Amino acid sequence: MTPVDSHECERRALEAAPYVLGALTEHELESYREHLSGCVECSAEVAALQPVADSLALGVARVDAPVSLQARVMAVVNGEAELLRAAGHEADRPPRARPRWRARLAPALAASTALAAGLLIGALVINTGATTHTRTQTIEAVVVAPGYHATAALRKAGSHVELVVTGMPAPPPGRIYEVWLEHGTQAPAPTDVLFSVTSSGAGSVGVPSDLSGVSKVLVTDEPLGGSLKPTRTPVIVASV
Amino acid sequence: MSDMALYKRSAESASAALRRLADEDLMQLVAENDASAFAVLYERHTNVAFSLAFRMCGKRAIAEEVVQEAFLSLWRSGSRYDRTRGSVRTWVLGIVHNRAVDALRRGIVHDRGRVSDEGIEERLEAPERTDQEVGRRDEAREIRAALEGLPVEQSHVIELAYYGGFTHSEIATMLDTPIGTIKGRMRLGLQKLRSQLGQAEVTR
Repeated sequence: MTPVDSHECERRALEAAPYVLGALTEHELESYREHLSGCVECSAEVAALQPVADSLALGVARVDAPVSLQARVMAVVNGEAELLRAAGHEADRPPRARPRWRARLAPALAASTALAAGLLIGALVINTGATTHTRTQTIEAVVVAPGYHATAALRKAGSHVELVVTGMPAPPPGRIYEVWLEHGTQAPAPTDVLFSVTSSGAGSVGVPSDLSGVSKVLVTDEPLGGSLKPTRTPVIVASV
Repeated sequence: MSDMALYKRSAESASAALRRLADEDLMQLVAENDASAFAVLYERHTNVAFSLAFRMCGKRAIAEEVVQEAFLSLWRSGSRYDRTRGSVRTWVLGIVHNRAVDALRRGIVHDRGRVSDEGIEERLEAPERTDQEVGRRDEAREIRAALEGLPVEQSHVIELAYYGGFTHSEIATMLDTPIGTIKGRMRLGLQKLRSQLGQAEVTR
Protein backbone atom coordinates (compact mmCIF):
# COMPACT_ATOMS: atom_id res chain seq x y z
CA MET A 1 0.00 0.00 0.00
CA THR A 2 1.52 3.32 -1.07
CA PRO A 3 0.91 6.02 1.56
CA VAL A 4 -0.95 9.16 0.48
CA ASP A 5 -0.49 12.61 1.94
CA SER A 6 -2.95 13.83 4.53
CA HIS A 7 -4.20 16.72 2.35
CA GLU A 8 -5.24 14.30 -0.35
CA CYS A 9 -6.97 12.15 2.24
CA GLU A 10 -8.79 15.15 3.71
CA ARG A 11 -9.87 16.28 0.25
CA ARG A 12 -11.38 12.89 -0.47
CA ALA A 13 -12.83 12.23 2.96
CA LEU A 14 -16.38 12.82 1.75
CA GLU A 15 -16.16 10.36 -1.11
CA ALA A 16 -16.54 7.24 1.02
CA ALA A 17 -20.31 7.71 1.38
CA PRO A 18 -21.09 8.14 -2.34
CA TYR A 19 -18.67 5.29 -3.02
CA VAL A 20 -20.50 2.76 -0.84
CA LEU A 21 -23.85 4.00 -2.17
CA GLY A 22 -22.69 3.47 -5.76
CA ALA A 23 -23.05 7.20 -6.48
CA LEU A 24 -19.65 7.87 -8.03
CA THR A 25 -19.27 8.07 -11.79
CA GLU A 26 -17.11 5.42 -13.46
CA HIS A 27 -14.22 7.83 -13.74
CA GLU A 28 -14.49 8.88 -10.10
CA LEU A 29 -14.81 5.26 -9.06
CA GLU A 30 -11.56 4.28 -10.70
CA SER A 31 -9.73 7.22 -9.19
CA TYR A 32 -11.18 6.61 -5.72
CA ARG A 33 -10.28 2.92 -5.80
CA GLU A 34 -6.73 3.91 -6.60
CA HIS A 35 -6.79 6.29 -3.65
CA LEU A 36 -8.19 3.60 -1.37
CA SER A 37 -5.35 1.26 -2.21
CA GLY A 38 -2.97 3.69 -0.50
CA CYS A 39 -5.10 5.28 2.20
CA VAL A 40 -5.69 3.45 5.45
CA GLU A 41 -8.05 6.10 6.84
CA CYS A 42 -10.37 6.17 3.86
CA SER A 43 -10.30 2.37 3.65
CA ALA A 44 -11.39 2.23 7.29
CA GLU A 45 -14.25 4.65 6.61
CA VAL A 46 -15.39 2.58 3.65
CA ALA A 47 -15.19 -0.58 5.74
CA ALA A 48 -17.37 1.09 8.37
CA LEU A 49 -19.99 2.46 5.96
CA GLN A 50 -20.21 -0.43 3.50
CA PRO A 51 -22.31 -2.70 5.76
CA VAL A 52 -24.76 0.17 6.28
CA ALA A 53 -25.14 0.66 2.54
CA ASP A 54 -25.45 -3.11 2.07
CA SER A 55 -28.27 -3.23 4.61
CA LEU A 56 -30.34 -0.85 2.45
CA ALA A 57 -30.84 -3.75 0.04
CA LEU A 58 -32.87 -5.50 2.72
CA GLY A 59 -35.00 -2.52 3.65
CA VAL A 60 -37.46 -2.90 0.80
CA ALA A 61 -40.99 -4.21 0.54
CA ARG A 62 -41.00 -7.87 -0.36
CA VAL A 63 -42.16 -8.63 -3.87
CA ASP A 64 -41.83 -12.27 -4.85
CA ALA A 65 -40.11 -13.24 -8.05
CA PRO A 66 -42.36 -15.01 -10.56
CA VAL A 67 -42.04 -18.78 -10.62
CA SER A 68 -41.41 -18.65 -14.37
CA LEU A 69 -38.14 -16.80 -13.74
CA GLN A 70 -36.74 -19.80 -11.90
CA ALA A 71 -37.56 -22.04 -14.86
CA ARG A 72 -35.79 -19.67 -17.24
CA VAL A 73 -32.68 -19.32 -15.11
CA MET A 74 -32.45 -23.03 -14.33
CA ALA A 75 -32.89 -23.96 -18.01
CA VAL A 76 -29.75 -21.99 -18.84
CA VAL A 77 -27.84 -23.23 -15.80
CA ASN A 78 -28.75 -26.88 -16.37
CA GLY A 79 -27.87 -26.59 -20.06
CA GLU A 80 -24.48 -25.12 -19.31
CA ALA A 81 -23.81 -27.62 -16.52
CA GLU A 82 -24.59 -30.54 -18.81
CA LEU A 83 -22.38 -29.30 -21.55
CA LEU A 84 -19.58 -28.59 -19.11
CA ARG A 85 -19.88 -32.11 -17.76
CA ALA A 86 -19.86 -33.54 -21.26
CA ALA A 87 -16.97 -31.48 -22.53
CA GLY A 88 -14.91 -31.79 -19.35
CA HIS A 89 -11.93 -29.48 -19.08
CA GLU A 90 -12.14 -28.49 -22.71
CA ALA A 91 -15.40 -26.75 -22.07
CA ASP A 92 -15.23 -23.04 -22.07
CA ARG A 93 -17.19 -22.37 -18.95
CA PRO A 94 -18.23 -18.82 -19.22
CA PRO A 95 -16.86 -17.23 -16.37
CA ARG A 96 -13.90 -18.31 -14.43
CA ALA A 97 -12.31 -15.13 -15.56
CA ARG A 98 -14.00 -13.30 -18.38
CA PRO A 99 -16.59 -15.33 -20.17
CA ARG A 100 -14.92 -15.89 -23.49
CA TRP A 101 -18.04 -17.08 -25.18
CA ARG A 102 -19.79 -13.96 -24.17
CA ALA A 103 -16.82 -11.91 -25.25
CA ARG A 104 -17.03 -13.55 -28.63
CA LEU A 105 -20.69 -12.86 -28.85
CA ALA A 106 -20.17 -9.30 -27.73
CA PRO A 107 -19.56 -7.75 -31.15
CA ALA A 108 -22.74 -9.25 -32.46
CA LEU A 109 -24.52 -8.13 -29.36
CA ALA A 110 -23.17 -4.63 -29.33
CA ALA A 111 -26.59 -3.23 -30.01
CA SER A 112 -27.91 -5.08 -27.05
CA THR A 113 -28.29 -3.18 -23.84
CA ALA A 114 -28.72 -6.25 -21.76
CA LEU A 115 -25.65 -8.35 -21.22
CA ALA A 116 -26.68 -11.73 -20.03
CA ALA A 117 -30.27 -10.73 -20.15
CA GLY A 118 -32.92 -11.49 -22.62
CA LEU A 119 -32.34 -15.15 -22.38
CA LEU A 120 -35.23 -16.43 -24.29
CA ILE A 121 -36.13 -19.66 -22.81
CA GLY A 122 -38.91 -21.70 -24.24
CA ALA A 123 -40.32 -24.55 -22.32
CA LEU A 124 -40.74 -27.78 -24.12
CA VAL A 125 -43.84 -27.51 -26.18
CA ILE A 126 -45.07 -30.07 -28.60
CA ASN A 127 -47.71 -29.13 -31.09
CA THR A 128 -49.16 -31.92 -33.10
CA GLY A 129 -50.65 -31.14 -36.44
CA ALA A 130 -53.26 -33.82 -37.01
CA THR A 131 -54.75 -32.50 -40.20
CA THR A 132 -52.34 -34.30 -42.52
CA HIS A 133 -51.29 -37.87 -42.78
CA THR A 134 -47.77 -36.98 -41.69
CA ARG A 135 -47.76 -35.80 -38.12
CA THR A 136 -45.67 -32.69 -37.64
CA GLN A 137 -44.17 -32.09 -34.24
CA THR A 138 -42.70 -28.79 -33.16
CA ILE A 139 -40.26 -28.76 -30.29
CA GLU A 140 -39.49 -25.27 -29.06
CA ALA A 141 -35.90 -24.80 -27.98
CA VAL A 142 -34.10 -22.71 -25.41
CA VAL A 143 -32.19 -19.88 -27.09
CA VAL A 144 -29.40 -17.98 -25.39
CA ALA A 145 -29.20 -14.76 -27.36
CA PRO A 146 -29.05 -11.80 -25.01
CA GLY A 147 -30.89 -8.81 -26.40
CA TYR A 148 -32.36 -10.69 -29.34
CA HIS A 149 -35.92 -11.87 -29.75
CA ALA A 150 -34.62 -15.13 -31.10
CA THR A 151 -36.53 -18.36 -31.43
CA ALA A 152 -35.53 -21.84 -32.42
CA ALA A 153 -37.57 -24.96 -32.95
CA LEU A 154 -37.24 -28.47 -34.28
CA ARG A 155 -39.86 -29.41 -36.85
CA LYS A 156 -40.26 -33.14 -37.20
CA ALA A 157 -42.29 -34.60 -40.05
CA GLY A 158 -41.95 -38.34 -40.24
CA SER A 159 -38.26 -39.10 -40.05
CA HIS A 160 -37.25 -35.67 -41.36
CA VAL A 161 -36.20 -33.13 -38.78
CA GLU A 162 -35.44 -29.51 -39.46
CA LEU A 163 -34.04 -26.87 -37.13
CA VAL A 164 -35.62 -23.49 -37.80
CA VAL A 165 -34.32 -20.31 -36.21
CA THR A 166 -35.50 -16.71 -36.34
CA GLY A 167 -34.03 -13.52 -34.98
CA MET A 168 -30.68 -15.15 -34.21
CA PRO A 169 -27.51 -13.08 -34.11
CA ALA A 170 -24.91 -14.06 -36.70
CA PRO A 171 -22.17 -16.28 -35.30
CA PRO A 172 -19.15 -14.30 -34.09
CA PRO A 173 -16.55 -13.45 -36.76
CA GLY A 174 -14.56 -16.52 -37.75
CA ARG A 175 -17.14 -18.85 -36.19
CA ILE A 176 -20.05 -20.89 -37.43
CA TYR A 177 -22.98 -22.58 -35.74
CA GLU A 178 -22.65 -26.35 -35.35
CA VAL A 179 -25.45 -28.80 -34.53
CA TRP A 180 -24.81 -31.53 -31.90
CA LEU A 181 -26.86 -34.54 -30.90
CA GLU A 182 -26.88 -35.72 -27.32
CA HIS A 183 -27.90 -39.28 -26.45
CA GLY A 184 -28.77 -39.61 -22.76
CA THR A 185 -25.77 -38.91 -20.60
CA GLN A 186 -23.23 -39.37 -23.37
CA ALA A 187 -21.12 -36.49 -24.59
CA PRO A 188 -22.72 -34.51 -27.41
CA ALA A 189 -21.90 -36.06 -30.79
CA PRO A 190 -20.87 -33.72 -33.61
CA THR A 191 -22.81 -33.57 -36.87
CA ASP A 192 -21.77 -32.22 -40.23
CA VAL A 193 -24.43 -29.55 -40.01
CA LEU A 194 -22.79 -26.14 -39.93
CA PHE A 195 -24.78 -23.02 -40.59
CA SER A 196 -25.08 -19.29 -40.33
CA VAL A 197 -28.17 -17.09 -40.56
CA THR A 198 -29.48 -14.44 -42.92
CA SER A 199 -29.17 -10.75 -42.19
CA SER A 200 -32.59 -10.93 -40.56
CA GLY A 201 -31.42 -13.78 -38.32
CA ALA A 202 -33.40 -16.51 -40.08
CA GLY A 203 -32.14 -19.96 -40.97
CA SER A 204 -33.20 -23.57 -41.37
CA VAL A 205 -31.12 -26.71 -41.63
CA GLY A 206 -31.83 -30.41 -41.74
CA VAL A 207 -30.89 -32.38 -38.64
CA PRO A 208 -29.23 -35.69 -39.56
CA SER A 209 -31.36 -37.85 -37.27
CA ASP A 210 -34.95 -38.89 -36.78
CA LEU A 211 -34.32 -38.12 -33.10
CA SER A 212 -34.59 -41.76 -32.03
CA GLY A 213 -32.56 -42.07 -28.86
CA VAL A 214 -31.66 -38.39 -28.99
CA SER A 215 -32.26 -36.52 -25.76
CA LYS A 216 -31.09 -33.09 -26.85
CA VAL A 217 -30.21 -31.19 -29.97
CA LEU A 218 -27.65 -28.50 -29.23
CA VAL A 219 -26.09 -25.68 -31.20
CA THR A 220 -22.80 -24.02 -30.32
CA ASP A 221 -20.64 -21.60 -32.24
CA GLU A 222 -17.41 -23.21 -33.35
CA PRO A 223 -14.41 -22.38 -35.51
CA LEU A 224 -15.11 -22.50 -39.25
CA GLY A 225 -15.03 -26.16 -40.26
CA GLY A 226 -16.62 -27.25 -36.99
CA SER A 227 -15.28 -29.11 -33.97
CA LEU A 228 -15.31 -32.68 -32.75
CA LYS A 229 -16.07 -31.58 -29.19
CA PRO A 230 -18.03 -28.48 -28.26
CA THR A 231 -15.75 -25.66 -27.25
CA ARG A 232 -18.46 -23.25 -26.22
CA THR A 233 -21.61 -23.33 -24.16
CA PRO A 234 -24.71 -23.91 -26.28
CA VAL A 235 -26.69 -21.07 -27.76
CA ILE A 236 -29.60 -23.38 -28.56
CA VAL A 237 -30.80 -26.34 -26.53
CA ALA A 238 -33.78 -28.39 -27.67
CA SER A 239 -34.90 -31.08 -25.23
CA VAL A 240 -36.48 -33.92 -27.15
CA MET B 1 -19.93 -36.88 8.72
CA SER B 2 -20.46 -33.32 7.55
CA ASP B 3 -23.42 -32.34 5.38
CA MET B 4 -20.98 -31.57 2.59
CA ALA B 5 -19.47 -35.06 2.82
CA LEU B 6 -22.94 -36.60 3.01
CA TYR B 7 -23.99 -34.75 -0.10
CA LYS B 8 -20.98 -35.93 -2.03
CA ARG B 9 -21.38 -39.55 -0.95
CA SER B 10 -25.08 -40.15 -1.06
CA ALA B 11 -27.21 -39.55 -4.09
CA GLU B 12 -30.43 -40.46 -2.23
CA SER B 13 -30.02 -37.79 0.39
CA ALA B 14 -28.38 -35.30 -1.96
CA SER B 15 -31.28 -32.92 -2.10
CA ALA B 16 -31.86 -32.92 1.66
CA ALA B 17 -28.15 -32.60 2.37
CA LEU B 18 -27.86 -29.69 -0.03
CA ARG B 19 -30.62 -27.82 1.74
CA ARG B 20 -28.80 -28.19 5.04
CA LEU B 21 -25.60 -26.70 3.66
CA ALA B 22 -24.60 -23.15 4.45
CA ASP B 23 -24.54 -20.68 1.56
CA GLU B 24 -20.76 -20.61 1.60
CA ASP B 25 -20.57 -24.39 1.15
CA LEU B 26 -23.11 -24.23 -1.66
CA MET B 27 -20.96 -21.62 -3.39
CA GLN B 28 -18.05 -24.04 -3.25
CA LEU B 29 -20.18 -26.57 -5.13
CA VAL B 30 -21.37 -23.94 -7.59
CA ALA B 31 -17.72 -23.24 -8.36
CA GLU B 32 -17.54 -26.95 -9.29
CA ASN B 33 -20.45 -26.49 -11.75
CA ASP B 34 -23.07 -28.08 -9.48
CA ALA B 35 -26.43 -26.87 -10.82
CA SER B 36 -28.35 -28.43 -7.91
CA ALA B 37 -26.39 -26.38 -5.40
CA PHE B 38 -27.07 -23.30 -7.48
CA ALA B 39 -30.80 -24.10 -7.44
CA VAL B 40 -30.81 -24.10 -3.64
CA LEU B 41 -29.05 -20.74 -3.54
CA TYR B 42 -31.50 -19.38 -6.09
CA GLU B 43 -34.46 -20.46 -3.99
CA ARG B 44 -32.97 -18.95 -0.86
CA HIS B 45 -32.19 -15.53 -2.25
CA THR B 46 -34.35 -14.90 -5.29
CA ASN B 47 -37.20 -13.13 -3.52
CA VAL B 48 -35.02 -10.69 -1.65
CA ALA B 49 -33.07 -10.10 -4.86
CA PHE B 50 -36.26 -9.53 -6.84
CA SER B 51 -37.61 -7.20 -4.16
CA LEU B 52 -34.52 -5.01 -4.42
CA ALA B 53 -34.57 -5.02 -8.23
CA PHE B 54 -38.28 -4.17 -8.28
CA ARG B 55 -37.79 -1.40 -5.71
CA MET B 56 -35.09 0.15 -7.89
CA CYS B 57 -36.56 -0.41 -11.36
CA GLY B 58 -40.27 -0.27 -10.59
CA LYS B 59 -41.18 -2.60 -13.42
CA ARG B 60 -41.49 -6.36 -13.15
CA ALA B 61 -40.04 -7.09 -16.59
CA ILE B 62 -36.90 -5.08 -15.93
CA ALA B 63 -36.58 -6.47 -12.42
CA GLU B 64 -36.79 -9.99 -13.85
CA GLU B 65 -34.08 -9.19 -16.35
CA VAL B 66 -31.85 -7.73 -13.64
CA VAL B 67 -32.33 -10.74 -11.34
CA GLN B 68 -31.78 -13.18 -14.19
CA GLU B 69 -28.53 -11.45 -15.15
CA ALA B 70 -27.41 -11.35 -11.54
CA PHE B 71 -28.00 -15.04 -10.85
CA LEU B 72 -26.43 -16.15 -14.12
CA SER B 73 -23.46 -14.01 -13.20
CA LEU B 74 -23.33 -15.77 -9.84
CA TRP B 75 -23.47 -19.17 -11.58
CA ARG B 76 -20.74 -18.25 -14.02
CA SER B 77 -18.43 -16.54 -11.56
CA GLY B 78 -19.02 -18.60 -8.44
CA SER B 79 -15.34 -19.36 -8.14
CA ARG B 80 -14.67 -15.69 -7.50
CA TYR B 81 -16.75 -15.64 -4.34
CA ASP B 82 -14.59 -14.94 -1.30
CA ARG B 83 -16.28 -15.83 1.98
CA THR B 84 -13.94 -13.59 3.94
CA ARG B 85 -15.44 -10.55 2.21
CA GLY B 86 -19.04 -11.05 3.25
CA SER B 87 -22.05 -13.29 3.08
CA VAL B 88 -23.40 -14.84 -0.10
CA ARG B 89 -26.60 -12.84 0.32
CA THR B 90 -24.65 -9.58 0.47
CA TRP B 91 -22.70 -10.66 -2.60
CA VAL B 92 -25.85 -11.54 -4.52
CA LEU B 93 -27.56 -8.31 -3.56
CA GLY B 94 -24.44 -6.37 -4.52
CA ILE B 95 -24.61 -7.90 -8.00
CA VAL B 96 -28.33 -7.13 -8.23
CA HIS B 97 -27.72 -3.54 -7.13
CA ASN B 98 -24.96 -3.02 -9.69
CA ARG B 99 -27.07 -4.50 -12.48
CA ALA B 100 -30.07 -2.40 -11.53
CA VAL B 101 -27.93 0.75 -11.42
CA ASP B 102 -26.66 -0.16 -14.91
CA ALA B 103 -30.24 -0.52 -16.13
CA LEU B 104 -31.20 2.80 -14.55
CA ARG B 105 -28.23 4.60 -16.05
CA ARG B 106 -28.81 3.08 -19.48
CA GLY B 107 -32.19 4.75 -19.39
CA ILE B 108 -34.20 1.56 -19.53
CA VAL B 109 -36.16 2.76 -16.53
CA HIS B 110 -37.93 5.99 -17.24
CA ASP B 111 -39.14 7.03 -13.79
CA ARG B 112 -35.85 7.02 -11.96
CA GLY B 113 -37.06 9.73 -9.68
CA ARG B 114 -39.39 7.26 -7.98
CA VAL B 115 -37.39 6.68 -4.85
CA SER B 116 -40.06 5.79 -2.37
CA ASP B 117 -41.61 2.50 -1.41
CA GLU B 118 -44.99 4.21 -1.45
CA GLY B 119 -47.38 2.48 -3.77
CA ILE B 120 -45.37 -0.71 -3.74
CA GLU B 121 -47.48 -3.26 -2.01
CA GLU B 122 -45.85 -6.44 -0.86
CA ARG B 123 -46.64 -8.93 -3.61
CA LEU B 124 -46.17 -12.47 -2.57
CA GLU B 125 -46.59 -15.52 -4.72
CA ALA B 126 -47.23 -17.65 -1.65
CA PRO B 127 -47.03 -15.84 1.67
CA GLU B 128 -44.69 -17.66 3.96
CA ARG B 129 -45.07 -17.81 7.68
CA THR B 130 -41.75 -19.27 8.56
CA ASP B 131 -39.67 -17.84 11.39
CA GLN B 132 -37.03 -16.99 8.83
CA GLU B 133 -39.48 -14.98 6.76
CA VAL B 134 -40.88 -13.22 9.81
CA GLY B 135 -37.32 -12.37 10.81
CA ARG B 136 -36.60 -10.99 7.36
CA ARG B 137 -39.68 -8.81 7.42
CA ASP B 138 -38.76 -7.47 10.85
CA GLU B 139 -35.29 -6.71 9.58
CA ALA B 140 -36.71 -4.90 6.54
CA ARG B 141 -39.07 -2.90 8.73
CA GLU B 142 -36.24 -1.94 11.08
CA ILE B 143 -34.09 -0.71 8.21
CA ARG B 144 -36.97 1.23 6.66
CA ALA B 145 -37.79 2.79 10.01
CA ALA B 146 -34.18 3.81 10.53
CA LEU B 147 -34.08 5.39 7.08
CA GLU B 148 -37.35 7.20 7.64
CA GLY B 149 -36.04 8.41 11.01
CA LEU B 150 -33.24 10.37 9.36
CA PRO B 151 -33.62 14.08 8.60
CA VAL B 152 -35.39 14.17 5.28
CA GLU B 153 -32.52 15.87 3.44
CA GLN B 154 -30.26 12.97 4.43
CA SER B 155 -32.67 10.14 3.69
CA HIS B 156 -33.57 11.75 0.36
CA VAL B 157 -29.99 11.82 -0.97
CA ILE B 158 -29.35 8.28 0.26
CA GLU B 159 -32.50 7.00 -1.45
CA LEU B 160 -31.77 8.88 -4.66
CA ALA B 161 -28.27 7.42 -4.72
CA TYR B 162 -28.86 3.85 -3.60
CA TYR B 163 -32.33 3.07 -4.94
CA GLY B 164 -32.43 5.64 -7.76
CA GLY B 165 -28.95 4.96 -9.12
CA PHE B 166 -28.14 8.66 -9.37
CA THR B 167 -24.58 9.91 -9.01
CA HIS B 168 -23.81 12.55 -6.39
CA SER B 169 -23.35 15.19 -9.09
CA GLU B 170 -26.74 14.33 -10.66
CA ILE B 171 -28.33 14.64 -7.24
CA ALA B 172 -26.61 17.98 -6.67
CA THR B 173 -28.00 19.27 -9.96
CA MET B 174 -31.45 17.87 -9.26
CA LEU B 175 -31.62 19.47 -5.83
CA ASP B 176 -29.72 22.59 -6.86
CA THR B 177 -27.33 22.02 -3.97
CA PRO B 178 -23.51 22.03 -3.88
CA ILE B 179 -21.89 18.63 -4.40
CA GLY B 180 -19.99 18.91 -1.13
CA THR B 181 -23.27 19.35 0.74
CA ILE B 182 -24.75 16.30 -0.95
CA LYS B 183 -21.73 14.16 -0.02
CA GLY B 184 -21.85 15.47 3.54
CA ARG B 185 -25.55 14.58 3.86
CA MET B 186 -24.84 11.10 2.55
CA ARG B 187 -22.07 10.62 5.08
CA LEU B 188 -24.04 11.96 8.03
CA GLY B 189 -27.05 9.88 7.06
CA LEU B 190 -25.06 6.68 6.79
CA GLN B 191 -23.33 7.33 10.10
CA LYS B 192 -26.68 7.84 11.82
CA LEU B 193 -28.09 4.74 10.18
CA ARG B 194 -25.10 2.79 11.39
CA SER B 195 -25.71 3.98 14.88
CA GLN B 196 -29.44 3.27 14.77
CA LEU B 197 -28.95 -0.18 13.32
CA GLY B 198 -26.76 -1.10 16.24
CA GLN B 199 -23.40 -0.64 14.67
CA ALA B 200 -20.65 1.42 16.26
CA GLU B 201 -20.40 5.08 15.26
CA VAL B 202 -17.93 5.79 12.49
CA THR B 203 -14.97 7.64 13.82
CA ARG B 204 -12.28 9.38 11.84
